[in-house]
Amino acid sequence: MAGDIIEVEGVRKLYGGGTRALDGVDLAIKEGSWTTIVGPSGSGKTTLLNIIGCLDSPSEGRVVIDGTEVGHLGQDALTRFRKDHIGLVFQQYHLVPYLTALENVMMAQYFHSVVDEGGATAALERVGLGHRLEHLPAQLSGGEQQRVCIARALINEPRILLADEPTGNLDQANGRNVLELIDVLHRDGHTVIMVTHNPEIAGMGDRTIEIIDGKVSSDTRRREHPHAKEAA
Amino acid sequence: MLLRILTKSLARRKSRIALAVVAVLMGAAVATALMTVSLDVTEKVSLEFRKYGANLMVVPKSDTIDVGFPGVQLGSVTEQRYINESELWKIKAIFWRNNVLGFTPFLYQVVEASDGNGTQDVVLAGTYFNREVAILEPYAPQDPTLFRTGIQRINPWWRVDGQWIGDPNDTASAMVGKAVAEKLGVGIGDELTLTYRPLVGAEGNTTSRDVTVVGIITTGGVEDDQVFVNLPVAQELTARPGKVHTVQVSALCTKCPVETFAREIEAKIPSVEGKTVKQLVDAEMSTLGMVEGLMLMVTLVALFASALGVMTTMTSSVIERRKEIGLMKAVGAERRKIVALFLSEAAIIGAIGGAAGFVAGLVLAQVIGISVFSTPIGLHALVLPAVMGLAVAVALLASLLPVRRAMGVEPAIVLRGE
Repeated sequence: MAGDIIEVEGVRKLYGGGTRALDGVDLAIKEGSWTTIVGPSGSGKTTLLNIIGCLDSPSEGRVVIDGTEVGHLGQDALTRFRKDHIGLVFQQYHLVPYLTALENVMMAQYFHSVVDEGGATAALERVGLGHRLEHLPAQLSGGEQQRVCIARALINEPRILLADEPTGNLDQANGRNVLELIDVLHRDGHTVIMVTHNPEIAGMGDRTIEIIDGKVSSDTRRREHPHAKEAA
Repeated sequence: MLLRILTKSLARRKSRIALAVVAVLMGAAVATALMTVSLDVTEKVSLEFRKYGANLMVVPKSDTIDVGFPGVQLGSVTEQRYINESELWKIKAIFWRNNVLGFTPFLYQVVEASDGNGTQDVVLAGTYFNREVAILEPYAPQDPTLFRTGIQRINPWWRVDGQWIGDPNDTASAMVGKAVAEKLGVGIGDELTLTYRPLVGAEGNTTSRDVTVVGIITTGGVEDDQVFVNLPVAQELTARPGKVHTVQVSALCTKCPVETFAREIEAKIPSVEGKTVKQLVDAEMSTLGMVEGLMLMVTLVALFASALGVMTTMTSSVIERRKEIGLMKAVGAERRKIVALFLSEAAIIGAIGGAAGFVAGLVLAQVIGISVFSTPIGLHALVLPAVMGLAVAVALLASLLPVRRAMGVEPAIVLRGE
């Protein structure tokens, strides 16, 4: 459909032993929107995020991102697509422990194309960490580590930002800072998809999709994503 | 960036990396030591062999009679042939002169030996014991003009009771083989009369010379039945001045077959032909082959052990860094970049282990050289690049399975929080 940056049609994901993580999911996400995905543990939210994030492939169904069907791409093709189109933010930060904040961001540049230390510094300044460039992850607070992750996710200018419980390990103040940062990115035009357990945070999105037992159980649209870009 | 990731990653896991480096070091040390010894051992073993006598016999070229059958010839039996003593220096003036460790001429004659109580026919051998030969026309201008040689030099393993005849001008001393001494009942200090009687009808007169036994020789071979005197004594006694029957040559030949020496000597002295002592040459080649084979086996086993050590370290590294690999893939690392990262680590481990192993191996080579061959082992420029190449190759090969495992890590694990 016009303006949809992500289209998921009839997606099923089966794991060994017959576990059905996703069971016929259909959804379309507008470019520039902020979608939150909620649901109980084991419902299939993270599996859905993995498939949209090109970290995993569906067993059945079709996934189209930015006009490319990614469901059947090989591992390296998926990696190339992911690094050009998708930024990932994880609940447990996942920074390389022996690299500084700046180097963690530069690493993503290295894997994408060329390293630009100035660009990496600017990205960290943008998330308020200009003074913590040379700090190792262990020397940063949880909120700071998550902001490094956001800087890393954005350094290659993806159009889609996927966040899996980005505030799950943060205190309230740090969590708020991170959410404010994501809101700014959304306002800048990024398409944001966020998995969360927190109903209050889920309410920040333009739309909330609830997954239960691998199926979309509800789809709540709060507003017509004011920052979304309509296709011409 | 790869360099930064590599150096920091290696620095963070110093102890684990050190284990892998030690594994490579040990293999590289053994490879260095055995490679160095192997390059040097051919010469060392050849030198050891030279202690067991000559490996080339120079004899007068015999006339041949074609008897009409293809390839069948008879040697002349009508004429006794000799080599001129005055031409012997030419043996040390050939292209491979530096590999001629020694030579000694022999003039043989059956003579009567009597000690007053009995008489016995014995083989008299006139030879050089230990003397200097003048090289009249050295092969190269810088070559020495004097060469010390003789049976004492090319047969150092002969057992001598008493002493060698040290003075080349000594015409009053003899050394007797053990069997001769027993038959005649003579010992050191006893006098012998040597008498030469020409064959009936032959030219010449009967001549005698009194000599004193200064040494008794035991070789276990034909020498035990001979009496040895300085060459001029035998030449004078048998009226054959300046003549010898054969020349034994001790040739050190590691890069050329002994036949090459023979052909060169034949070219230099046209009246002689060179014959190799086949059994000795074959034994030498066979021993060298076995020594080199053994060294190759030991090196391969050591390198295999190194590979196992590196593989264990790299495998545990991949397991330990599974999440990190998944993260790198999640943020955009294609498999070739993960492969490059781990193989670069392996190459660094190989290079450090190889360099350290090279140094340790040189020390080990000297220990082997001194304890086995009683001399230091020479260094060879080729060993360093060869060992470095081997060490890096072993580390890379040993990393292939772990790297394959790293390639299989799914990026999704970072989102699953595993």
